Amino acid sequence: MTNHLADIQKSKAIIIFGANPAVNHPVGFQHFLKAKEINGSKLIVVEPRFTRTAAKADMFAQIRPGTDIPFMYGMINLILKNGWEDKKFVAERTFGFEEIAKEAAKYTPEVVEDITGVPAQQLIDITRVYAQTKPGTLIWAMGLTQHTIGTSNTRLAPILQLILGNMGKPGGGTNILRGHDNVQGASDMGCLAENLPGYFPNAEPGFKHWANVWQVDFEWLKARFAPDMMFKNGFSLSRWWQGVLEEETIHNGPAGKLRAMVCMGNGLISVAQTEKVKQALDKLELFVMIDIFPHDAIAYTDRKDGVYLLPAASQYETSGTVTATNRSGQWRYQVVNPIYESKADQDILFAFAKKFGFYNEYVRALGDGKGNFVWPEDATREIAKGVKTIGLSGWLPERLKAHTDNWHMFDELTLEGKGPMKGEYYGLPWPCWSDKHPGTPNLYDNSLPVMKGGMGFRNNFGLKQELNGVEYDMLASEGSVPAGSTQKGGYPAITAANIEALAGITLTEEEKAKVAGKAWHTDLSMILVNKALEAGLCPYGNARARMFVKEWADQIPRHREPLHSPRTDMVAKYPSFKDKPNHFRVDTKYESIQMQKDWAKEFPLNLITGRLVTHNGQGIESRISPALSEIYPEMFIEIHPDRALKLGIKDGDMVWVHSPEGTKGYMKAKYSYSIKEDCVFAPFHWAGIHQGKDLSKNYPEGLVPYSVGESINTVTNYGYDIVTQIPETKGGLCRIEKA
Amino acid sequence: MESQARVKFYCDEARCIDCHGCDVACKEAHHLPVGINRRRVVTLNEGLVGKEKSLSIACMHCSDAPCAQVCPVDCFYVRADGIVLHDKEKCIGCGYCLYACPFGAPQFPKSGIFGSRGPMDKCTFCAGGPEETHSEKEYKLYGQNRIAEGKVPVCAAMCSTKALLAGDSDSISLIIRERVLKRGSGTASVPYTWSQAYKD
Repeated sequence: MTNHLADIQKSKAIIIFGANPAVNHPVGFQHFLKAKEINGSKLIVVEPRFTRTAAKADMFAQIRPGTDIPFMYGMINLILKNGWEDKKFVAERTFGFEEIAKEAAKYTPEVVEDITGVPAQQLIDITRVYAQTKPGTLIWAMGLTQHTIGTSNTRLAPILQLILGNMGKPGGGTNILRGHDNVQGASDMGCLAENLPGYFPNAEPGFKHWANVWQVDFEWLKARFAPDMMFKNGFSLSRWWQGVLEEETIHNGPAGKLRAMVCMGNGLISVAQTEKVKQALDKLELFVMIDIFPHDAIAYTDRKDGVYLLPAASQYETSGTVTATNRSGQWRYQVVNPIYESKADQDILFAFAKKFGFYNEYVRALGDGKGNFVWPEDATREIAKGVKTIGLSGWLPERLKAHTDNWHMFDELTLEGKGPMKGEYYGLPWPCWSDKHPGTPNLYDNSLPVMKGGMGFRNNFGLKQELNGVEYDMLASEGSVPAGSTQKGGYPAITAANIEALAGITLTEEEKAKVAGKAWHTDLSMILVNKALEAGLCPYGNARARMFVKEWADQIPRHREPLHSPRTDMVAKYPSFKDKPNHFRVDTKYESIQMQKDWAKEFPLNLITGRLVTHNGQGIESRISPALSEIYPEMFIEIHPDRALKLGIKDGDMVWVHSPEGTKGYMKAKYSYSIKEDCVFAPFHWAGIHQGKDLSKNYPEGLVPYSVGESINTVTNYGYDIVTQIPETKGGLCRIEKA
Repeated sequence: MESQARVKFYCDEARCIDCHGCDVACKEAHHLPVGINRRRVVTLNEGLVGKEKSLSIACMHCSDAPCAQVCPVDCFYVRADGIVLHDKEKCIGCGYCLYACPFGAPQFPKSGIFGSRGPMDKCTFCAGGPEETHSEKEYKLYGQNRIAEGKVPVCAAMCSTKALLAGDSDSISLIIRERVLKRGSGTASVPYTWSQAYKD
């Protein structure tokens, strides 16, 4: 989130693409309802399904799955035609706008209607309201990301906000609602296949920085990798099974196919292609599951040995920080000691490190470096020391604890502290540049001084860029600068080389020696960051938001039909990408699948998936609760009565849902008017029945959930985002037959 | 000064989002078995644009409670604050109250093989029952007694959007009036449940 949840109360217009906060964030949704009550805010929902959120909306557009880009370009087109754009903002703080304008011109309301199914007049009405009501916030979640063009979707949404000048404003911004506790924190800590903690690149400079923080030799780190594999991205969560099955070429270096897997706190069945996941689990030589109790993944494998369960402690049995959806930190205290033989995650990892023989190096940056340290305080200090990219330098354990202890001393609307906590924002939302910085409630707000949470856009893409033969400045224009700065316009990210000129200071010889060759994010002495802050400068610079990305397959966001599109006629005009080799160690098919056949002939129904309010994720935690299972006790698929009756399906009939993957799922049909006739919706909370076969007997005794059901991911189709490889679960095809 | 007004439930349909915070909180707080639903959330006209409404419903603790009027063994009693309670040890499980109740609030465990129902169970406004306050017997038969602790019923306390309000009627009316004023949509509509239960 660029802003925070309570900040939504300040919005006068709220537009939601592919998110259903009334169901997925019920407590957070009170802020949306209050915005409506207090501001008369207009709530606009663009979504293939009439959700509980849509039921509270002032305007609702029922869009065809996977066509958000035409809709947003349609909005931009109308905005530019009517002069509703924020010309000053675009000129001073963005790059590549002309390319966006060119593409947007293609999307007239009539073209948009043809692609999205939303009537032209509705697009016009929505755009008029949203563009003319400021500030406006834009919300999204998995409905926007889980597509082959997910990355383009999530680029165009902020671009729309930039054009309207809604970025960096209270009540504005792009607010992406995180779906689980500490998802933001897991991402910040590098739990991804493509980067290191703090989003440092998976490359030599990134590893060298962390070797410096961890006080280990870079060469030692390097020696632990197979030759040439150190800087290669790993397998992604959505495709790890391919590394085991090796049905197609994989790019896993000299090690060859994957033979062992350690799974720490992941459901495994919650990713697309459940059948492949099952096959891979069966084929692994070693499968270690570390979790608070054995769950569905155990039931999906038929293997009798080579499976190990390590009991992990829950969050109440350990302590440490988590990061909320709005980038704020929270200290959590231990409530009880780990019960029975369970161990906290870190203790399990320490035990492994000892066995593998690198425990000394593993804990060298903690405490006195000789193994005497306080957990988790010293780990929090290590994070503060190393993760400067997103400004965690100010997240010291003492400060975070003080916020948790004194949460009643903060204003719930502005996050501003009162009394002893005056001058700080609740949870020190990152970037919190230093131990004196108050945190940043809203990103990119240059109306505030940097030391009060103000900032411009990050200088991360060089100083100049060429586009269509013209050289553009990538730094912000003269006049666009966080309040109270010594500079008058854009400036580059702070380095040892430019600090003296930019901050108007002279470093001592001692300081110079300490920062030699360093930049703001690699200087562990904090001299560069502190000197910049004293001069009112943002350590990461003051630059332009980039709408055009030279290096990417789509330099500006472009509409491309889903791999399995119900509109075969559209595929020719908006084809998918060329197949992509060697990405996250696997080859990924796009065009070759899309062009393989007219999928819609055999599989005429659009399939979307989503959440129910009483279940969470794969339902591992909620299906073991009788109270929650009672409300939604079984797996179902929502189908429009008109379509169902044509197929001879009565409300409550059991049906087979067939996938283009050749797999099928067995579930109950539920009549619903929430979706159009050509679309079906299924929740993704169930597991324990696989292609009609009940797996209950595979769970350990006493651990069968109260409710088992078919996983809809057995039916969701092949298809992965071109950049991140997130699976395309929100817009595939299927066929339904009465069972 | 504290008002002497009676207690009421109010569900603000502009705010209720069918999140089931209330009924799950109720079930967990009072350790109710599956099938006994003191509180339920219903969504009407699901999927129909402009018509879908969600509502949380339980015993409304009616004035002139119809259940009490029809009970053949007179097991109901009404507290001074308007909370309608009953004595499970007197109740014969006849089910008359269920027929009289406009909200379908009374619940019956179906345990016997001949369909015998056992004593009725319903929302207590988290005020326990006739047994000694905070005794083990009270807890076992009626669940928590939060009112005696000065707390609002657990359903309203848990409500994620504060759609469900529980308390004395003056305070509730004040909150609703403020919300309606802010929304600027004219007068508050009196919901069906409210007029049915409290005749105002």
